[in-house]
Amino acid sequence: MAASPFASRSPSMTVASPNTLRLRAGVTDWPPRPAFTSKPLAKADQELTEQLNEDVRQKYVKDKKLGEGTYAVVFLGYLRNDPASKVAIKKIKVNAEYKDGLTMDAIREVKYLQELSHPNVIALHDVFSSKDQNLNLVLEFLPRGDLEMLIKDSDIQYGLADIKAWMGMLARGVWFCHENFVLHRDIKPNNLLIASDGEVKLADFGLARSFADPYLNMTHQVITRWYRPPELLYGRDNTPVPWTYDQISKICDAFGTPTEANWPGVSKLPNYIPTDPASIVPLQGREFFYRQFPTAGPVGADLLMAMCSLDPRNRITAVEALRHHWWTIDPRPTRNEDLPQKQKSGAKKMGDDLSRRGGQIDDGPFKNAARQLDFGAMK
Amino acid sequence: MASRNGVDRRDDDEVCPVCKSSRYLNPNMRFLINPECYHKMCESCVDRIFSSGPSSCPVAGCRKTLRKNRFRAQTFEDIGVEREVDIRRRVMHILNRREDEFDSKRNYDDFLEQREEIIANLVSRIDVAKTEAQLQAYASENMDSIRANQALEEEEASTFQARVTKEQEEARQRRQAERDRLDAERREMQAGREDFLSRLASGSSADAGKIAREGHKVLLKKSSARRSEEDRIRQKQAALRGSETKRTGTTLSSVEKSGDSGLIKGLRKIKTPEPEKPYDPFMGYVPEKRDYYTLKQSYPSGYLDRIRNDPQAQAGGYDLREYYSRTLLEAFAGLGVFVEEEVTRRDVSQAAATEGAAVAVEE
Repeated sequence: MAASPFASRSPSMTVASPNTLRLRAGVTDWPPRPAFTSKPLAKADQELTEQLNEDVRQKYVKDKKLGEGTYAVVFLGYLRNDPASKVAIKKIKVNAEYKDGLTMDAIREVKYLQELSHPNVIALHDVFSSKDQNLNLVLEFLPRGDLEMLIKDSDIQYGLADIKAWMGMLARGVWFCHENFVLHRDIKPNNLLIASDGEVKLADFGLARSFADPYLNMTHQVITRWYRPPELLYGRDNTPVPWTYDQISKICDAFGTPTEANWPGVSKLPNYIPTDPASIVPLQGREFFYRQFPTAGPVGADLLMAMCSLDPRNRITAVEALRHHWWTIDPRPTRNEDLPQKQKSGAKKMGDDLSRRGGQIDDGPFKNAARQLDFGAMK
Repeated sequence: MASRNGVDRRDDDEVCPVCKSSRYLNPNMRFLINPECYHKMCESCVDRIFSSGPSSCPVAGCRKTLRKNRFRAQTFEDIGVEREVDIRRRVMHILNRREDEFDSKRNYDDFLEQREEIIANLVSRIDVAKTEAQLQAYASENMDSIRANQALEEEEASTFQARVTKEQEEARQRRQAERDRLDAERREMQAGREDFLSRLASGSSADAGKIAREGHKVLLKKSSARRSEEDRIRQKQAALRGSETKRTGTTLSSVEKSGDSGLIKGLRKIKTPEPEKPYDPFMGYVPEKRDYYTLKQSYPSGYLDRIRNDPQAQAGGYDLREYYSRTLLEAFAGLGVFVEEEVTRRDVSQAAATEGAAVAVEE
């Protein structure tokens, strides 16, 4: 679905509907009105915005619920004048945490999604508010689940060409965000949804922000922790959380221990945990990646190594990754229509993914169990 | 074999037009023709005249050069029919377009008519040279498509043949199974009856009615069990057949390539698949496209010196080049955008598109 089935992709274009045209024409064509005070003008303005909102709202029909989370409810919907079209309507739960106003996630999502228009980024068709002041995002409907579903399904066989195709789409999505100075900050298999034509799309911009100016420190408490890079783990927090160390030790065991030699200045990072010199794991070379990921081949191992470099200055950017010659060597990436897919409907999965709050994982061991009282702790 | 019979049916007083020997004297005489001129002569004449290489036709007035290997037995008694069938076979061999290659039924019918016309021309010797030239040109230009269609035809013929033999075999098996079933039934009936009689003979007269009833019940039970078993087998076979036809149904494929000879009109435009372009990791987007400036590696700025020398920021991965890139892009972003032009253009297109709505506005 590279081309959206709708006339407008960005919400700002919805003004072009015939109803609003009439309305606007009505305003401008009016005979010179008597000098009006500011009060009726404000009223007219308000009515105009309400009218516009109403027009957008009337364009869509909500169908069944796809999923519900703490942050949002996702519905399946369609265009009123084209029932064959499908959209996902994400209704943000208002006043969940922010008593006055919208949550940051919703603002970020609207702010960045309406700017980004790329085949590998989920499209935001419209935004409207429903009667109880709830914010509704009309998003592209991506019915084939997410990448996590594919990874976890052991029945699905995929090869290097398929991985290449998926990786390419992911890298393009990320690159497009970075090209437009948007940081997604929560890239993980859950947030990579698959469209009906097999295209992988980056979704959930609830943690996104634009690139920071110098001296404006960004938080390092972003990105679902499994996918967090070491420099964020060594970030500016003075109260280390237990798992931070655990995560770092995992990275060190796998890729090597960060030292001043392979990452100049690392010990200056506020949350740096010095490692015992005896247990330093040397930085892993290309052979390690080749051994770990034999399917990728020597060239693919080279790309992986460049992407997993400990020192962020040596890590390749999304553009550089896409310019790597691994993409052009054999095998050629699979075409979208030939990619392996899960037979089960992914619509519910989309509902779950979109209603999740950014930076969270919902598959802990007791995901659906009621919380239990811990009597052992109250001795 | 058929031609043999044909020869045998001929009159006994037939005479070879070349050597004048008659069947009366030579009952095994066979007549051969050559599709060059269709003059009939006996086998011994062909051997005699053409064994030492090509020679001209011995019939008076015919100057055609004939070769021995082209001689064959006649299929049809009427030499005119024989000739027409030959011509038809040859033309159909070359002009072997199929209906699905045309974009409409009408064009296919036109093609069929054109083919008949060519055949008629050749048969009745009208514009032979021109028609032949056309045919040859077409044949050389459309070599691939002709060959592909021939292969398709052969495949169809062979699958048809296979299906026919399969059906015959299945029918035979069904008949055999039915016969076996009847035999078994008869044997069982016989055995049951014998058993029943022997029990009657050995038992007392009081039991007779009971034994008779039991025997009847056993027979009924057996036959119904057999019937359900047969049903089960039949269903299984039907399911098997269904899956087989499904599999064979999809094997037909069409490999075609068009040659534009101009002889046949209305052929479907066949899209030759474009050679696959090399994979573009950016899918057509141009990375870092900047119209009005080129990005330098570093810009002198007192404001940025502190962060440049801050090891913490550097080690944390803060890259000033991203800041340069963004600031410059934002500084130049508005250039080349002429809002007024875009607005007028948009208004014009909108006015055209929503004229109906505009009329509604007027009232």
